[in-house]
Amino acid sequence: MNHRHEQRLARVFVELADTLIDEFDIIEFLNMLVERCVELLDVAAAGVVLSDQQGGLRMAAASSERARLVELFAVQADDGPCLDCVRTGLPVSSANLADDGDRWPRFVLAAREAGFSATHAVPMRLRQTVIGALNLLDTESNGVDEISVNLGQALADVATIGVLQHRAIDDNAILTRQLQTALNSRIVIEQAKGVLSAHADVDMQTAFVALRGYSRSNNLRLSDVARMVAEGEADIDAIVAHKQVSPHGQALH
Amino acid sequence: MRALLAANDNGQAVALTRICMLAVSELVVSGAGITLMDRPGAPDAQQRLAHATDAVAAGLEELQLTVGEGPGLSAVTGGVPVMVPDLALATARWPAFASGALALGAAAVFAFPLQLGVIGLGTLDCHRATTGSLSQPQAVDGLVLAELAFEAVLDEIAGHPPDDLGWISDIHAEVHQASGMVRDQLGVSMQEALLRIRAHAYANDIPLAAVARRIVSRQLLLGTQE
Repeated sequence: MNHRHEQRLARVFVELADTLIDEFDIIEFLNMLVERCVELLDVAAAGVVLSDQQGGLRMAAASSERARLVELFAVQADDGPCLDCVRTGLPVSSANLADDGDRWPRFVLAAREAGFSATHAVPMRLRQTVIGALNLLDTESNGVDEISVNLGQALADVATIGVLQHRAIDDNAILTRQLQTALNSRIVIEQAKGVLSAHADVDMQTAFVALRGYSRSNNLRLSDVARMVAEGEADIDAIVAHKQVSPHGQALH
Repeated sequence: MRALLAANDNGQAVALTRICMLAVSELVVSGAGITLMDRPGAPDAQQRLAHATDAVAAGLEELQLTVGEGPGLSAVTGGVPVMVPDLALATARWPAFASGALALGAAAVFAFPLQLGVIGLGTLDCHRATTGSLSQPQAVDGLVLAELAFEAVLDEIAGHPPDDLGWISDIHAEVHQASGMVRDQLGVSMQEALLRIRAHAYANDIPLAAVARRIVSRQLLLGTQE
């Protein structure tokens, strides 16, 4: 790892730790996490699933909003490395998904269709509480490399503290509230993507890029802009105009 | 808990009564009430008490509607659960509500919004005569009950018998995306858009997710007549 890369990495850790600001938005924060993973680690895509605390997992962020990648995190509600990772609180990996069709029938099928050959999920855990998992995906069938895995776990650790906003999670009802807030924000974003997609006749990925591009240009929280769009209170044409802005950190699929 | 609710259910009122009773036993609270809201936060917002398990719960709901503030209203407008383990410490946030609620005998209030993204239908408010936080399992039970209440209320609006409670728990991203699309295409509210999609699924006996996928992939355009 060269010096430049180290400096960049140090900046990302500071960025991820900086969540004590009033404008903190969990979904935006998790989006930043998965984008940075794709930039800094030797992986093709990344995603975060959070526990709904009822035994289920729900997708909270993906390094691209392309339908196939989103679907890949959705199927993990049934089987896949994230589900195993959250249940055990331990990292779960597959160096070659072609060998793991029996282990995770639905996930392996969806992952291979999307072009992925290897996966590694690391827990998002603080002490005894597992709030979700960070899933790294690669297109080569020789496993996610060790440096990427270690860095991914470190980023996930910092992000977990960020999601919990440095609170002492002894008050577990607060944790429930935080996770529920994140999961509902994610639904609002999906509803907003739909509005933009129909309005401008673009796909969901383009709709998301427009939503985020507009939020950033106007220094607004992603979740707030999504809420305005979904409630019909936003200038949709102004937002759609941002569809050309290319996303920070391009990912495959 | 879902099975318990589905059994012998014959309407929203019964479902909401059961949900409030379950809230009392599962969250170990003194009482619970559900207020339904139409366009919360808007100037023409409509609200009504759907059920309350005791006089204090009824009084708290009426108080919120009278003074126009409180944990339930904050939960609905903010779209997040609002936990108030000690009402005496909340007088700065809700001056009129907190003092009124304390006078009614409530010491702690936990409000769970009935919501799905931007679709907000009301709030499930639980109160305790003693201060203290909910445990995590209790907080999760509150979320589950609010979700079930959302389904019961939406089904009642749609005129469906509540025979398939639990459909939200495995709802897909495409359903939300399709709701947004239908909202834009038909110029209706997000709530109405979801109802149209669900009605189409129900009428044609197709899974909700399948209808949503067809809408998202532009193979299905719901008409204004549906």
